[in-house]
Amino acid sequence: MIDEIFLSQLKQSVDLFLPETILVATFIIALIFDLIYKNSRYLIAVISIIGLVFSGIFLVNQSTSSAAIFSGMLSFDPFGNFFKILILLTTIIIVLMSVFSKELYEGGRKTGEYYILIVGMTFGMFLLAVANNLIIVYLAIETMSISSYILAGYTKEIKRASEASLKYVIFGAVSSGMMIYGISLIYGLTGSLTFDAINSAMISSDISGLTLLIAGLMIIAGIGYKISAVPFHFWTPDVYEGAPITITAYLSVASKAAGFAVLIRFLKVSFFDSTNYANDEIWTLIGTIDWQIVIAILSVLTMTLGNLVALWQTNMKRLLAYSSIAHAGYILMGVVVMTDIGVTSVLIYFFVYMIMNLGAFLVVMIIANKTGNEDIQKYNGIGHKAPFVSACMVIFLISLTGLPPTAGFIGKWAVFTAVLKSEYIWLAVVGVLNSVVSLYYYVKIFRNMYIRNFEDDSEIYEFSPGTYILLIILAVPTLIFGIYFTPLLDWAESSVKIFLGV
Amino acid sequence: MTINLEHYLILSVILFCFGIYGIITRKNAVMVLMGLELVLNSANINFVAFSRFGGLNIEGHVAAIFVIILAAAEAAVALAIILNIYQNYKHINVDEISNLKE
Amino acid sequence: MFTILGVGPLTWITFLPIVSMIILLLIPSGRDEKSKMVSHILFRWLTVLTTFLQLLLALAIYFNFDFGLTGINQQSTMQFVERVRWIEIQNLPLLGNLKIDYFVGIDGLSAPMVLLTAIVCFAASFASFGIEKGVKGYFAMYLLLDTGMMGVFVALDFFLFYVFWEVMLLPMYFLIGIWGGPRKEYAAIKFFLYTLLGSVFMLLVMIALYFAVGTFNMFDMMDPSKYDPSSILAGADTFWRYVAFAALFIGFAIKVPSVPFHTWLPDAHVEAPTPISVILAGVLLKMGTYGMLRISWPMFPDAVRYFQDYIAFVGMVSIVYGALCALGQHKVGKRDFKKLIAYSSVSHMGYVVLGMAAMNPEGMIGAIFQMFNHGIITSMLFMIVGVIYDRAHTRGLDDFGGLANKMPVYTGIMAIAFFGAIGLPGLSSFISEFLVFVGAFKTYPVLTIISGSGIILGAGYMLWTLQKVFFGKLPERWAGPWDPTGKKYKHDDLMPVEYAALVPLAIIIIYLGIYPIPITDLMNTSINHLIDFVKTTGSFAAHL
Repeated sequence: MIDEIFLSQLKQSVDLFLPETILVATFIIALIFDLIYKNSRYLIAVISIIGLVFSGIFLVNQSTSSAAIFSGMLSFDPFGNFFKILILLTTIIIVLMSVFSKELYEGGRKTGEYYILIVGMTFGMFLLAVANNLIIVYLAIETMSISSYILAGYTKEIKRASEASLKYVIFGAVSSGMMIYGISLIYGLTGSLTFDAINSAMISSDISGLTLLIAGLMIIAGIGYKISAVPFHFWTPDVYEGAPITITAYLSVASKAAGFAVLIRFLKVSFFDSTNYANDEIWTLIGTIDWQIVIAILSVLTMTLGNLVALWQTNMKRLLAYSSIAHAGYILMGVVVMTDIGVTSVLIYFFVYMIMNLGAFLVVMIIANKTGNEDIQKYNGIGHKAPFVSACMVIFLISLTGLPPTAGFIGKWAVFTAVLKSEYIWLAVVGVLNSVVSLYYYVKIFRNMYIRNFEDDSEIYEFSPGTYILLIILAVPTLIFGIYFTPLLDWAESSVKIFLGV
Repeated sequence: MTINLEHYLILSVILFCFGIYGIITRKNAVMVLMGLELVLNSANINFVAFSRFGGLNIEGHVAAIFVIILAAAEAAVALAIILNIYQNYKHINVDEISNLKE
Repeated sequence: MFTILGVGPLTWITFLPIVSMIILLLIPSGRDEKSKMVSHILFRWLTVLTTFLQLLLALAIYFNFDFGLTGINQQSTMQFVERVRWIEIQNLPLLGNLKIDYFVGIDGLSAPMVLLTAIVCFAASFASFGIEKGVKGYFAMYLLLDTGMMGVFVALDFFLFYVFWEVMLLPMYFLIGIWGGPRKEYAAIKFFLYTLLGSVFMLLVMIALYFAVGTFNMFDMMDPSKYDPSSILAGADTFWRYVAFAALFIGFAIKVPSVPFHTWLPDAHVEAPTPISVILAGVLLKMGTYGMLRISWPMFPDAVRYFQDYIAFVGMVSIVYGALCALGQHKVGKRDFKKLIAYSSVSHMGYVVLGMAAMNPEGMIGAIFQMFNHGIITSMLFMIVGVIYDRAHTRGLDDFGGLANKMPVYTGIMAIAFFGAIGLPGLSSFISEFLVFVGAFKTYPVLTIISGSGIILGAGYMLWTLQKVFFGKLPERWAGPWDPTGKKYKHDDLMPVEYAALVPLAIIIIYLGIYPIPITDLMNTSINHLIDFVKTTGSFAAHL
């Protein structure tokens, strides 16, 4: 009898796990094809795209289901689904971008494993977005990290790439070591590793105090490392600068998304009272530790440091690295308020951030393909040499600053709405001041593109049609969502439901 | 004297601190990795000790096994990366690998 | 309301430039010299045509305008209203109903501004003929700017207002940054940062107001019965209402600009190309004071009354300090003609702020009339500087003298603008300044007397400039013709394009100086209502 129930639950679990299964299958098939067709240039990319798209189709189909699967190890819910779709879209765009990357294919480098690892990393992030158990969190973080360590140093004969890879692996391993220690303490305190069991243990036995604070901080440090929140951000600029541009873009969006997904889920399911939660916007904190203050401090530090250091960067990848740190700070503001509106604003911001940030990195890649590096000085006069690309870059940068009529404004608007709704006025003021600061370094980029050496009309760059199509795919939504954002808002609002366990 | 939970916890804290100390002070990348192993194993001791003394379920033991496996995987990748660093720089001194600075 | 092709005039007047911009971007600019020249001519005349159509629309709106309707806080008495659901999401689990409208309309407050924008943009499009590099980009940005400005003056939904307000920043940055003078980078980024700093606070206040009333409709935000009692902005004379008002005021004061937020203006003006200086002074500065009257005054009447004295003081300081700085241009610094006019703008916009703070019909009507007049007169002044700068490539006050003999017609037109700026009786600004002083004197006699020195100082620096540049001895270096080849300038005096830009403005100044009724009647009803609303019968007053 019990076996039958277990079997039917298992069957349901396997059904729901289909998108992930497809990813694993794609991973294996691509590996085999890579062994057989060693010299094909784009075959593995095509296989990966096909696998990702299939996975996406099944993902969209299950967007409303909400269940705990594999004995409560994973919880599938609209919230996790939103992040999975986001990660999948990012992956598809990154794979397409990689096909046009000159740096990656230079010297006849074989890229089969590159795409395979990206698929593997996607699998890790999928798990992270739905993980409901601290060991799964740890496993998923490692699955995604180990792939990303290799990807960061994929152009291995380039010194800065191998350096980036080393720094990434050392910092990453240390932070995950801290995290697992924190997890072990939580296990000792609550006797469980599943989020909802931690929650019920905390309700029943009123656990709090220094140990919980340390354990929680250690886990937040591990996740904070993934979302590059200050003070766990040390690796970010170096790795972003050294890694191939496509991987930099990938890390700045997808792995951050996965990190935010698990951060929100962990905080909400473990530390907030689940018993009186009924589609209510107020979350009630259990225990005496005020996690809101912790996250608020992280948020303020993250955006302020990110923006201030970005001011004097001269390398585009490094500049965008600091800018992505700053954006993590803005998104953390949505986490700070710890309400459903806050979560909605995080979702909206993330979607918008994905489009505009990938767009900005795409332009950096396109230009680096021509000029060979990412020095901001090399952007002088690009406005004339590549008018369309530069115009798109202006759109992305304006969007990153958060000015209307671009999607970035909608993201900022949503976050500030959430923050003001909870009357965190000081935080909102810090946030808007930061976005004024950020304007300065974004403007610096298009100042170089348009204002410096404007009359230099020596040559006009030619680009392949594929890059233009990719640019349009990213630039048009950046404008459209700035003017008409109803679908985005609807989707985000319907995705805030976090499954609280059985 | 009976050995109880506190002893294990103190051992794990000491291991953790040694590990962190090693990571911070060592210049050789391989030594840094060894420090890391200490940190991971200190967590393992916690898991197993809590599981044994706390009268908790098997979860702790399972967690420890997972950590061991992942530590091995991570070490393999890290060593490969360090090997690559050696090829590019002819040394593996972490402090001197700093081309990427503003 | 009349419609064209089923679309109302305000939508046309706002989005016509965008349509032209798209057409313009589709025209290739050509590679060889000949096709480049042809395309440049095309771009120029397309812009002139667009702004001319805009002017015709503005006049059509003017002649169809019902002078008796109040507007301000009454949705039913707004004119040429167009309202379409833009974003509508019902029953969101969290945000409730989110409604953002495309909602435009005008009343006696915005009608003069729409007219002013149309006139200034039309005149400035002629002044843009001198732009030689990146012509296509220039006119595209110019048209985008035009849409942004027009949109600000017609928007009645706060969200829409904010979008237009920000849309304008980017083209302005490029117009100063690419086509500006030697320190253009600095001036452009300074402009951008200052205005953004102001507008982000506006964003926060906007969101707070949205939570208070549940929509972005400006009229709901003016109606205290719509306020959610639990909102921090509910009630009257609360701390947060004062903070919100102050944040909004700083946002708008940066744009005006009032001392001490004015430092971006001289830089931007000096570096910007002539037509952009014209638009900056003629229209952009008015957006600050317009925003105060459209948003701050009716939405926070209690806070206005509380801060009234301080605002008047800010106005007074702007008047005197701006005038002193302008006068100082004769003695210190680079003695830049444009900088002088920039500071005179600070001073003249100070009259507007003073008149607005006075809160009586004379002061308020004077203030808005002054906004209109200052727009026209300062536009002319900047064009006048542009004319000699194009020829002599210098703007130093000391580099000129005796131009009256060399360019008699030019000097004649210039005299109208100069005396207009001084406020000579018979010219339009005399009436507006007089009204401002009469109004302000009733409420703030001391401040008004001090401000009066601004008039004297103004006469000082203007006459001094007049004497230095136009009378006296012509320097040796300008003795010959401006253009010895005779290609660009066939004779020394004004060119037909410059006539086209300057003469209509001169006529407006004289006409309104003799007969101001066309503009003052336009706003009379609305302004009286605004004052009533804020001061006495204002619905917030009932809560006191």
